[in-house]
Amino acid sequence: MSWDLLAVALMVGAANWAFRALPILMRMDRMAVGGWLGRFLSSTGSAAIATLFVASILPALTPDLARLAPVLTGTAAVLATWAALRSVVLATLAGAVTHGLTVWLLG
Amino acid sequence: MNRLLVTRVQSHALSSRSGFAQPPRTVDRVRSPRYLSAPMTRTRPPFVDGLIASLPIVLGYFPIAFSFGVAATRAGFSQIDAFALSLVIYAGASQFLALALLSSGAPVLVVAFTLIAMNLRHVLYGPALMRQAGDQAGNQAGDDAGRRHAWAWAWGLTDEVFGQALGALARGQRFSQAYMFGLGLGAYASWVSGTVVGAYAGGGALEGWPALNAGLGFMLPALFLALLLSILSRRQLPVIAVAGLATVAGTLALSATSGILLGMLAGAVAGTMRR
Repeated sequence: MSWDLLAVALMVGAANWAFRALPILMRMDRMAVGGWLGRFLSSTGSAAIATLFVASILPALTPDLARLAPVLTGTAAVLATWAALRSVVLATLAGAVTHGLTVWLLG
Repeated sequence: MNRLLVTRVQSHALSSRSGFAQPPRTVDRVRSPRYLSAPMTRTRPPFVDGLIASLPIVLGYFPIAFSFGVAATRAGFSQIDAFALSLVIYAGASQFLALALLSSGAPVLVVAFTLIAMNLRHVLYGPALMRQAGDQAGNQAGDDAGRRHAWAWAWGLTDEVFGQALGALARGQRFSQAYMFGLGLGAYASWVSGTVVGAYAGGGALEGWPALNAGLGFMLPALFLALLLSILSRRQLPVIAVAGLATVAGTLALSATSGILLGMLAGAVAGTMRR
């Protein structure tokens, strides 16, 4: 193993642990309950999920109908399964299976 | 970990030691029709609930980590190197970028600070999660029991694990450290094992199965959409709309990483300004 790679891995890994754990251990969420920071943190979750969905779907959006069709059918499957079952796990799996099946059917 | 950035890229009462007491399931049955036909009591440990909830993440991570393992060996790194990067860094986009920078001969400190900057958004996840848990539990989320083992389970707070945990809280599930351990462990194991398999299998293993490859590749967008549906409410609409638009604008004008950071900040600021 290269020492450069090990040094980078240890520095970045330590920073990642600090970013994920220290704000919880330091009770950053209690610093301004009811204040602007509280509202900011309450909104961060919804904003993050919306952001991550948009960021993950953007590369799949294309004018090419043959490549767009699996995305549309997969998305429709997630919406339909969520509407029927209210289950995140099942909706996700249904979307992925439908997407894969569409790719298979379109050859 | 973010699929876009790497470009190809879910009771019983809990002891106070492990977090917050699970509410009576009758509450959930009132809230959600899906519990109406459920048994009166559940004995499944929250850790197992967490593992089950990690399933979509597990299925989504594995092929991405597999790709990372392949890319690492193609870039001249050993299987042990690829394994170490996934085990120690555990942030997909950063890992792919690490390969590019290290193999181009960039200085170690430049590489490290570039990768650290990419993951700064994770600072918001823990407080946002604990805030949601606190709101739900009448602002008791700050007690020591709910955070005692955060030094360990917080390591697993990736984008997808955070999203899944927040979605569970938004659906009425009480915060539980055991659940967080299960959720995080499933995702982490998938990421590390996918890397190892990819590093040893080499390129082209999934290329013979295009439909399977495509379905697995759609797992993370499908998960994010399902999570978005689970938190969708009239109150959250402005936040969601602003975050989505800012992400598109930032991605098109700057970069995918900038788009994500801008989207989160713009959505959170929109939420801060409402009364």
